[in-house]
Amino acid sequence: MMKQDAYGMTGALSISESSPLRKVDPRTKLALCLAASLAVMLPLQKVAVFFVLYFMFLAWARLLPGALRQIWKLKWILAVLFVVDWLVVSPELAVVVTLRLVIVAGVFAMFFSTTTPSELCLALVWMRVPYRYAFSLGLSFQAVGHINSEWRKILEAQKARGAFSAPSGWRYPVEQVKNLVSLTVPAVVLAAKRAWSMTEAAYARGFESPNRRPYKALLMSRADWFIVSGAAFIFILILSWRLP
Amino acid sequence: MAVIQVNDLTYAYPQGRSVGPCSFTVEKGEFLHVTGSSGCGKSTIARCISGLIPHIYHGKMTGEVLINGRSTLSTRMWELSELAGFVFQNPSMQMLGNTVEEEIIIGLENLGLDRAEISGRLEESLGRFGLDSLRGRDPQTLSGGEQQKLALAAITSRRPPVLVLDEPLSMLDVSAATELTRYLSLLSRSGTTVIAFEHRADYLSSLPGVRVMALDSAASVKFSRRRASASCPDCKCGAKPLVISNICVNAGKTRILENMSLTVQSGSVTAIVGRNGTGKTTLLRAITGLQPFEGSVTVNGKKPDFGLVCQNADLQIFNAAVRSEILYRVNNPDMKLYARLLEILGLGRYENTPPLILSEGEKKRLALATVLIRKPEHGVLLDEPSLGQDAAHKHTLMELCAEIASTGKTVILTTHDLHLASMADRIVVLGPDGVTASGRTEDILADDSIWARAGMFVPGWITEDERKGITA
Repeated sequence: MMKQDAYGMTGALSISESSPLRKVDPRTKLALCLAASLAVMLPLQKVAVFFVLYFMFLAWARLLPGALRQIWKLKWILAVLFVVDWLVVSPELAVVVTLRLVIVAGVFAMFFSTTTPSELCLALVWMRVPYRYAFSLGLSFQAVGHINSEWRKILEAQKARGAFSAPSGWRYPVEQVKNLVSLTVPAVVLAAKRAWSMTEAAYARGFESPNRRPYKALLMSRADWFIVSGAAFIFILILSWRLP
Repeated sequence: MAVIQVNDLTYAYPQGRSVGPCSFTVEKGEFLHVTGSSGCGKSTIARCISGLIPHIYHGKMTGEVLINGRSTLSTRMWELSELAGFVFQNPSMQMLGNTVEEEIIIGLENLGLDRAEISGRLEESLGRFGLDSLRGRDPQTLSGGEQQKLALAAITSRRPPVLVLDEPLSMLDVSAATELTRYLSLLSRSGTTVIAFEHRADYLSSLPGVRVMALDSAASVKFSRRRASASCPDCKCGAKPLVISNICVNAGKTRILENMSLTVQSGSVTAIVGRNGTGKTTLLRAITGLQPFEGSVTVNGKKPDFGLVCQNADLQIFNAAVRSEILYRVNNPDMKLYARLLEILGLGRYENTPPLILSEGEKKRLALATVLIRKPEHGVLLDEPSLGQDAAHKHTLMELCAEIASTGKTVILTTHDLHLASMADRIVVLGPDGVTASGRTEDILADDSIWARAGMFVPGWITEDERKGITA
């Protein structure tokens, strides 16, 4: 089940509680992301095989719909790159670049739809990233998840006061710019205010205390080791595959 | 022994606004209630006591603040956070966790407590503030009142010897606010020093042993008990009633409003009250058509045209000056109305000021002006208009509402402030099952059984005059 807020989905970073990857250690998922990021460097045939395996894995993890939504958002970028690569370089490059981007978008969806910002923070601290940076990065990702709903609230508020005019489309460029300003300025102001308020709240709760002791600890389970070793095995297999 | 000593404190923000000088002391275990008009510097002084000023604000501070004899200037921020816990005015902007549980845990981790101690304090706080059933929820999806309780739980679980609260009751319903003030009183009796910067004085003044400190004389302004539409006491001028029929609203899998039906008379001011999370804001959004719903909302059989003033004024403000904000996209503006709005809402001196540097209360009044200048056909809806407003401005607001209603339009406001509600012509009480009761203010205030059904009560400080609808 996807987590919902009062206005519906909070955006691309909603956590998928039903995915078997939800309970997997964030370090395992980071390792998978690293492996996938390296795999996109492979030549076309190997990338194609990896692509199929990776999307089978996403389907098993019940993350395929979310990943496809992420990829759909990139449709115009993918289309332009595909056409330009095809025309300027070669069809082969067009296909390989598209596959690479699709895999990277899928990796992003896989990690952030199964990992909370605080879990990301724990994994980063384990990787020796100083707590203040890990915590700040986690908060940033958390705030990104709220942008969607905040944007919608601003849109509603502007409509409610009559500052958002009805005519839309390319035939009314001035109206469109005015509408955009009426949404963007409050969004930027709110984002800055939120960032400042969160900083205040963090300091008011002892952020940067040298005595800090984490409540939750990372724990690699059997499932984690199984996934890591399975991924490593497949990765080595693809690497050692001799192309004709 | 004085736990807090404020000596000749002044603070000037880089933008120019300044506060002080002020000096006062607070004894151990004392409960200090600080009052003052909107924008008089209550939040600034609260930040000075908590140490956020001067540690993360870079304006000019003179004088000193000592907590347990330690100067906030020379003590590190994380040490100060253990001496003085600070609960902010706007809880939704200060949430750090992904879940309610996490929100509380973050502060406890920073104290260096072991896992068992954190677990114990977590459960205690969840239970005390009634957050048990919400422990896995994203704090951003909670109602304003629930967020305020969570913010309090996150700070009080750290058990600081001094608790500084900036408008802690502003978003709480009458039951939650009463419960919280009792809890604060208990904390104070057990040795915690409590300083509450709060407009809703009645809750605190009814507690024993609370010392009141007024930062300015305006704080002592009292409500007039004049009914909003005193000229129309029977509310029979409702030629264009707002008819809400069997509306249902869902948010995800949660049903917020179920088969709600209500008729609101035009030419009157109606206050909607109810516990936190009963769907007051959702109802207003449904009336304006911003919230999808099943059922119908009509005025004379047609879709209504209402202006809505949101709870958070920052969502509606974006222009470079107050004047351009009010007149933005208004065709043929009524400049007489514009001048009157500036005057009555106390915005005249800010006409050329950037709205973003106004205080929260002033922004709220500006947002109201931006809606009223358009003269929406059927009236206005105000979501928690009293947040951040002092008594004088609440009174002005209700005068304005009465004026709008006297033109035959409908004014609906949601509020937790029963003084404000008592000045409306009619009250609608929302309970867990929808509309518990709807009727004339004096009838609703006089019937305790209605409030009990909605899980609320009319506190003792609502006077007999207010209950009976006697007007001043």
